[in-house]
Amino acid sequence: MSIGAAEIFPGGAGGFDVVEASEEIAARSPLQLFWRRLRSDRFALVSLAFIVFLVVLAIAAPLVVKLLGLPGPSVENANLTDSFGSPLGPSSAHPFGVDQLGEDVMSRVIYGTRVSLEIGVVGTGIATLIGVVTGVVAGFYRGWVDTLLSRLVDVMLSVPLLLLGLGLGAACAVRGCLGGAIQPGLGEILFLIAFANWTYIFRIVRGLVLSLREREFVDASRSLGASDARIMFREILPNLVAPVIVYATLLIPLNILLEAALSFLGVGVRPPTASWGQMIAAATPIFNTAWWYMTFPGLALLLTVLAFNLLGDGLQDALNPRTAR
Amino acid sequence: MRSLRTITVATLAGILALALAACGSSGNSSSNANNGAGVAQGIKTPKTESLTGGKRGGTLTVLNHEDFEHIDPGAAYFTIDYEAMYATQRSLFSYKPNTFSETTPDLAAAPAQISPDHKTITIQIRHGVHFSPPVNREVTAADAEYALDRAANPNVANPFYLGYVGAIEGMKTAKGGPVAGIKATGRYTLVIKLTEPQAQIALDSLVLPYSAPVPKEYAKKFDESKPSEYGNHQVATGPYMFKADSSGKVLGVGYQPGKSATLVRNPNWSASTDYRPAYLDQIDIQIGGDPAVIGRQVLEGSHSVQNDTPANSIVKLAYEKFRGQLQLTPGGGDHYVALNNSSGPFTNVNLRKAYWAALDREAMNKARGGSLVTNVMTHFNYPEIPGFEEAGGLTGPKVDYNEHPQGDLAVAEKYMKLAGYPSGKYTGSQTLQVVGSTGNPAAEDAQMANETLKKLGFKTKLNLVDQSVMYSKFCGVVTEKIDVCPNVGWVADFGDPQAVLDVPFNGNLIAKNGTNSNWGLVNHPKINAAMEAASKLVGTATRARAWAKIDEELVAEAVAAPYDWDKQPAIESKDVSGVGQQWDIGDWDYTYTSLK
Amino acid sequence: MIRFVVRRVLWGVVLLVLVAALTFVLFRVLPTADPAKLLAGRQQNPKIIAEIRHNFGLDKPILTQFWIYMKNIFLHFDLGFSYYSGAPVKSLIFDRIPATLSLVLGGAVVWLVSGLSVGIVSALRPRSRLDRFSMGTALVLVSAPEYWLGLVALYLFATDIGQIQVFPGSGSYVPLTSEPGKWFTSLILPWLVVAAGTAAIYARLIRGSLIETMGEDYIRTARAKGLSERRVVLRHGVRSAINPIVTILGIDIGVFLGSSVLVETVFNIPGIGRLNYDAITHSDFPIVQGTVVLAALFIVVANIFVDIAYAYLDPRVRYE
Repeated sequence: MSIGAAEIFPGGAGGFDVVEASEEIAARSPLQLFWRRLRSDRFALVSLAFIVFLVVLAIAAPLVVKLLGLPGPSVENANLTDSFGSPLGPSSAHPFGVDQLGEDVMSRVIYGTRVSLEIGVVGTGIATLIGVVTGVVAGFYRGWVDTLLSRLVDVMLSVPLLLLGLGLGAACAVRGCLGGAIQPGLGEILFLIAFANWTYIFRIVRGLVLSLREREFVDASRSLGASDARIMFREILPNLVAPVIVYATLLIPLNILLEAALSFLGVGVRPPTASWGQMIAAATPIFNTAWWYMTFPGLALLLTVLAFNLLGDGLQDALNPRTAR
Repeated sequence: MRSLRTITVATLAGILALALAACGSSGNSSSNANNGAGVAQGIKTPKTESLTGGKRGGTLTVLNHEDFEHIDPGAAYFTIDYEAMYATQRSLFSYKPNTFSETTPDLAAAPAQISPDHKTITIQIRHGVHFSPPVNREVTAADAEYALDRAANPNVANPFYLGYVGAIEGMKTAKGGPVAGIKATGRYTLVIKLTEPQAQIALDSLVLPYSAPVPKEYAKKFDESKPSEYGNHQVATGPYMFKADSSGKVLGVGYQPGKSATLVRNPNWSASTDYRPAYLDQIDIQIGGDPAVIGRQVLEGSHSVQNDTPANSIVKLAYEKFRGQLQLTPGGGDHYVALNNSSGPFTNVNLRKAYWAALDREAMNKARGGSLVTNVMTHFNYPEIPGFEEAGGLTGPKVDYNEHPQGDLAVAEKYMKLAGYPSGKYTGSQTLQVVGSTGNPAAEDAQMANETLKKLGFKTKLNLVDQSVMYSKFCGVVTEKIDVCPNVGWVADFGDPQAVLDVPFNGNLIAKNGTNSNWGLVNHPKINAAMEAASKLVGTATRARAWAKIDEELVAEAVAAPYDWDKQPAIESKDVSGVGQQWDIGDWDYTYTSLK
Repeated sequence: MIRFVVRRVLWGVVLLVLVAALTFVLFRVLPTADPAKLLAGRQQNPKIIAEIRHNFGLDKPILTQFWIYMKNIFLHFDLGFSYYSGAPVKSLIFDRIPATLSLVLGGAVVWLVSGLSVGIVSALRPRSRLDRFSMGTALVLVSAPEYWLGLVALYLFATDIGQIQVFPGSGSYVPLTSEPGKWFTSLILPWLVVAAGTAAIYARLIRGSLIETMGEDYIRTARAKGLSERRVVLRHGVRSAINPIVTILGIDIGVFLGSSVLVETVFNIPGIGRLNYDAITHSDFPIVQGTVVLAALFIVVANIFVDIAYAYLDPRVRYE
């Protein structure tokens, strides 16, 4: 989802400092400081705890569902719809109600955590990796490499991402495309994220590297005869870790929302795999009679995205106290 | 090939039949719509509606979730296209709303004459029918000739002309110019000559809108653009016309694709030349919107109808609170799970039987709205079609895999063992490709069908695509080797069992490079031969018996896993006196519907 | 300055060409459904398919098709014809633009006004209850997917199906030119939904930058001069805090014009997004390409506008 991205990701290194070893008081490492500041942010901590909870939920989904006495996410039960096929609402056996197939909505919401986190973590990981490597290279070498990459990013940012995703979803249905390299469903979304969302990380990393490469410690290692690769990845990269973590954290909710939006439009994750966006889509035709089916996956999505946003905010503040509340 | 009428299955709204209605041949009209096909008490059907006594005047609002596919009469082949075409265009013959079997001369002045050798059709054109502005002049036989000529014009891309009228002299090689076998021999006389004795099927097809007259001098320039723009500038002969500007332009005036369309009275239409009452003054068609919202607006609102399939929740609401505003049309088509008979695991008949036995057909139908709008499908012919009762009626043949509509895993296990899987579960390594359609309720049915496969031990990969993509790219395409298509269905052209069973299950018709409506690529030499023989038989009872035998054979081979015979629902506001078209799966007929 | 603008515009054109090329690859080269087969109906005949392919030029080599396509777009501004309705894509798109513009521009007004006022009020009383409440709400709204918000809004407030029937619901959109009053009421819910997330972001932004600005020396000077607090905030604080908002506003409008499909789908507004969505499900490539290029055009133009505005507003930016 491109909405909001412009605000969350300033072009270049806009508006925050690079935390760098030499600037800090010797007694405390920057990470310690960072952690101290983060610890004082209640919202960020609660969010972090919630995210840990989600991760546990995702990993232990089968166990959790069993402990709660719920049927599995794809267990269909025609007895749970009325004689017209309308699903029944929340009850003690099915706290979030059921869908048109008589599948337990709570069970599917719990399993849906898996898709969202997988997209959030794996997709963001890939995008971040691409963004960091290209960003470091562009910022370090400048010149035509930088021009080429920056222009490429301009192109990427001009492509309407949702429309591209819709097209890709239609084009890669069933057999996949590019010789099977892009598979329908999760594969397609990961491709889209990797393809498009590295650009945000690229811009930030490039900006940081542009300023870092002028610092004394880079000059120093260069005069000692260090290779380009060594300077880039041994000297510069460690200074990027903190900001990259912050921005990657802020990219996670964007990616989760993108998956949900594509699944909502019918080109993302396919049933029977449970995905929140796809559940909202399936709920749309009956949203006025089966409020529970639309509500609970939506709330799950909302809370998850909110948690990542709050954590990202907290990390950003901890990294860059000037913009703190 | 007799029947080209196919059915597509649900988009968001449900089923949409591509109504290529065929001719009204001999009398096998079904008179028992209200009991035989199980329509609930107190709900009207197209056959019970009054065709007379409507109030004149007023504007009807039509709320459709879907857009038209084509508004060019030469290309139209979709149920909601048909209603707009039948209100604005006069094809040579047409159906009155309450009959599935009897055609009425429309632009034709009288029934056609067929020569004894079945190679020549002569049709007299009605006097005094005029085109709408800006053409205005009287319609002649030459206009009907041009209409049929342009069916072969690739710019029009009529999808069915070769199947129906390919036997007309010169038709197969035609490119849009005059076709040798179609001649206006006088101002009001049209003669069609064929190379084969297939006059009946050619004549049958003339109820389709493509036989509606088109003025050559006006349309020629539009037909030259690729694709033809005649539809966007069409002139009408029926009681209504798409609203147009003074030059005749419809696009952007009376039709905004994806948004709306407006039909107004055709000033040049004369009631004395037509059988249609045409009560309404105007029809406003609004396109798009959530089916659940549209349905509420129709049921609770005023002066409106929905002309594509209402959402399940709306049918339920209508049944519970607005029963008088609900119409059900039996014989609206079927749905079954196509299993690939030509490649993959389901070449094994016992696996097919096991799957049939395991499928919970009642649950599948519940997702479609339950027993109010569906019957459990137990064999392959339809209710209302000759041969249906002979092949077992609603309960169907007495075979163990057919006996439990809720699915019976014990019977399934028996056939799994017979198929060579002693554990009762499939143990092969292959992953099945399952391709279904997006939207409710198709997606729900596809998931249930998929879960049933898993219960039998199959590994599956379920994909949901838009239904048009499902039909044109995957299901029925030999080279794609799709194993299971859970959302396919078929609507017959006319009341003859051949129209129901031939195209979907005759292996001789399978095209190797192209798509087929034989989605399971069913190809059993014995059945193929029986179909060829039965197609040549004459007489309703004889044909019914022969095709009932074939139906039994199809069940014995378990060529597919059937689940649903539709009773197509339609809804109207309380102040609308709606009349549905029986042959067009009950869609509201604008020329008979009136306001109260 | 002029050279800067010219360069920016030229690069924008290049961007569009590249996006058009990308779209072409995606929809013509990757294996989508063959439009000829879609059009040929269910009982297909190879002859009909071949004729249709020929008609649409789909039998030409792919590079020739690409060349014809690009030539038509950039020399004649001709986007081709819909495979289905035969209508010119250009006219279809122009027909849909007013709805999308109504939705996005109206939404922008709402998010700008509400975002700014909430942000300013919050900044004046940082850490107050009001501030906490507004910022909390803002965070929730930022995190909610707008199509879901749309469904919830319809469920709660739509006049046809809502629990509290207040605003016209889905499918009530009419063009401004036909019934202005109805146009306005029908767009209230969609505007609120479009604006919700963005307003929240703006509120947070303006609050943050106001709090920062209020600590600057010149603000202290202004206060020391005895100006009222309100005057200090509005005259000095907001003015400098608003620059980044202006630049972001341009980009947001551009992006939203390109991604309105979700809200248009939920509220059944016949705009560009829905046109694109319908076309994709039908493999109606000319429309898909037309709408994607148009959406890219919105984004590119917005970016150019923003760059120029930024250069104009901030004298420190050099026009390199």
